Amino acid sequence: MSNIYKIQDEKFKSVYLALNFIMPVNKVENSQNALLGSVLGKACDKYKSQKEIEEYLYSLYGAAFNVNIEKLGDLYNIEFKIEFVNKKFLPGNVDVSNECIKFLYDIIYNPYLVGKNFDDEIVLREKESILNRIKEGKDDKLRYSVQKMEEILCPGEAFGMNLYGDEEIVKEVTSEDLYKRYLDVINNSYIMILVSGNLNGYENIESKINEIFENKLNDNISLNSLKYNTSNNRILDNIEEVREMQDTTQSVLSIGMRIKDFTMDEYFAFNVYNTILGGTPSSKLFQNVREKESLAYTVRSRYYRFKPIFVIYAGIQLENYEKAKKVIIEQIEDIKNGKISDIEFESAKESLLADLLEWNDSKIALAKMKMTNIVAFLNDDMTIEKMREKIRKVTMQDVIDVAQKVSVQKIFLLGGEENV
Amino acid sequence: MYNFDIQKSQELGEETYVTKLRNGLSVYICKKEGFNKKIGMYGTKYGSIMNDFVDINTNKRIKVPDGIAHFLEHKLFEKEGANALDLFSKMGVSSNAYTSFDHTVYYFETIEKFDESIDMLVKLIKEPYFTDENVEKEQGIIGQEISMYDDDPGFMVYFNALRAMYREHPVRIDIAGTIDSISHIDKELLYTCYNTFYSPQNMFFLVVGDVDVEDTVKRIEDNIKKYEKDYDNLSENDPIEKFIELEDRNICKKEINQKMDIYMPQLCIGYKLDVVKKDEILKRETICSMIYDMYFSKLTNFFEKEYSEGKIIEPVSFDYEGSKYFSHIIISSSTTKLDELKEDIINYINKIKNEPIDENLFNLIKKKKIGNIIFSSDNLNVSYRRVIESILDDTSIYQDIEELKNITTDDIKEFLQMLDEKYLVISSITKK
Repeated sequence: MSNIYKIQDEKFKSVYLALNFIMPVNKVENSQNALLGSVLGKACDKYKSQKEIEEYLYSLYGAAFNVNIEKLGDLYNIEFKIEFVNKKFLPGNVDVSNECIKFLYDIIYNPYLVGKNFDDEIVLREKESILNRIKEGKDDKLRYSVQKMEEILCPGEAFGMNLYGDEEIVKEVTSEDLYKRYLDVINNSYIMILVSGNLNGYENIESKINEIFENKLNDNISLNSLKYNTSNNRILDNIEEVREMQDTTQSVLSIGMRIKDFTMDEYFAFNVYNTILGGTPSSKLFQNVREKESLAYTVRSRYYRFKPIFVIYAGIQLENYEKAKKVIIEQIEDIKNGKISDIEFESAKESLLADLLEWNDSKIALAKMKMTNIVAFLNDDMTIEKMREKIRKVTMQDVIDVAQKVSVQKIFLLGGEENV
Repeated sequence: MYNFDIQKSQELGEETYVTKLRNGLSVYICKKEGFNKKIGMYGTKYGSIMNDFVDINTNKRIKVPDGIAHFLEHKLFEKEGANALDLFSKMGVSSNAYTSFDHTVYYFETIEKFDESIDMLVKLIKEPYFTDENVEKEQGIIGQEISMYDDDPGFMVYFNALRAMYREHPVRIDIAGTIDSISHIDKELLYTCYNTFYSPQNMFFLVVGDVDVEDTVKRIEDNIKKYEKDYDNLSENDPIEKFIELEDRNICKKEINQKMDIYMPQLCIGYKLDVVKKDEILKRETICSMIYDMYFSKLTNFFEKEYSEGKIIEPVSFDYEGSKYFSHIIISSSTTKLDELKEDIINYINKIKNEPIDENLFNLIKKKKIGNIIFSSDNLNVSYRRVIESILDDTSIYQDIEELKNITTDDIKEFLQMLDEKYLVISSITKK
């Protein structure tokens, strides 16, 4: 296995180790992945229940294990991670690293099977829990609005699908389906391993990982070869307005925008663009929608690392819907027309530069930055310093140029009842 | 040049330098070697529950509108029409502020602009700027903030539990107030609260990061001197007179249910306790975090059972919330089977009170907690939370680690006996 990346910094006292399984998904696979992650994280052949897993982790001085799921644009990532304390800092210098690596191996490659499939009882239980998570998603109004916007902005694309899956499809998944999905994930994913933190005393951790995982980790699959459907260039001529009723005190207005003919070269200019528009308290949205017009407490725009889209969201009073929409659209137009002050431009860059530096203070953030850069740029030489250099080089004209490619596509209102 | 009380933790490899400036302001510098980020926090021991006090200027007792401490936080973090978040953001510095029941904190986080950020933070707090116009504008923004919380089931279920436990105590009031109460706030009232509670002896300045201790304290002091003409010949200030009546354990209401347009019902059980002080607060916190691990975490049969019966997805939480003004336990969870879960928790607590403590389990959990303490030192936020807590509770800074070492099974047993159904309240949010 050669895709092992190490990040050493001795200011930390612990180590983060993660195995990422990255893959393209269709609608059905998308709906099986979260369930698979849940099932794998709850039991393995050696530790047959959550209780047994926890007992073992507690005995390793509270090593923190988790199976996380996330979207990297149209790719799906299932991450198996563990954090443990460097032996130097534990009483009697106890070393738990081998146990932790072996534990991840057991979780991933020795799942708890009954016959040739996962245990029906566990699958059923996890299914219930995933279905609840999907339905519960609506209870957080701001988050739900953003998620809904991602969905309507990217129909049919893996990115727009709910991370936990589609309710109807999840309901139908059998233990057999899930086991097939499991084999597909472990055999056909691009696997990337990250080790980050205080690696003093763990200089040979790669060989340790390879030794423990034997030849199970498949590295025949390259990131480039992962094929997925995307229609990043689909731009509609008309703006579509969508409305969903909810009986709430506050309404949420969100606006979705796509970028026409996006290229990775424009990535950093769009970053600056987003920060000027709604990324910080100095941004146009914060200054105008909140400070000047007092229409909202929360108002932001979000730019996606792996998808050429933006989502703006604001918590407003229903009666201010038209006004808020107008003020937000004006900000987007102002940037297109070059109405950006030097202060807005410089402070956006300052803020992005400072944010990047902060990643150095977290071992997990450092590892995530490495991983996401490899996926986004398809090579591993993008560093935080290089990213800062790219941001520094963005000019006002670059921002105005890329702004011309931004097109408002959807407006979504999650709102209280009318005439209230 | 300054006299420091140096507090140390062997486990964390961390030191905090404490000193008091001549004007009475306490300064804390928590050294985190190797970290790039520096956090600066300027705070006051003034929060939402201090709404009845003697106005320092008129010497008269006054009752102020609910939510004013939070309103003041918003207005103070502003300079002549510019929001402080914006001023910091223009320097590439992130900043924020928050108001809790008993304190308010303004802070920045920076890597490259540390000195300038201290200058800015002191300037903001020392130069209040309230006008009728900017007060009115803020009423709109905070109104939206209140509405946002009104739609948040997790927030509502928690506050309803407090309202069920407390009869008169101001902890039952929303920190942000209500749309009606904040409409009664004007600039004069803001100045009254500011003058009373933002005096040096009621405030603290805290820095976390890899900084030079002497230089940092000097920078803070030099800045403060700019705004305090009489800095060099100060007289002792009178203590602030505030009226917060501590309540006995009797509750207000057994049960509160609220309906909202949500899918997942929320449950929050509270046990009201007697108020304790100083190290006792930390001891209770430690005991409760042990109880969580021993009886509610994924390690437990209780979790396994409730989970497999589809009643919960994540473990039920079990937290101690205590200060010198109030004291209670909050047990909460989201659940589709609310009534069953509620019964299960209450019966379970009654059961464990009478059971012997499993020594092996107790020791296993202590082991994990030692690991957690070391993990936590990789995170600057844990450091500042610990210092703030020690300021509010009047304890030494790394006392929490000592409490953990000293805790015994008898402490757990004894504490569990306090969980009496008479002082229990139930708050729930269910589907409309």
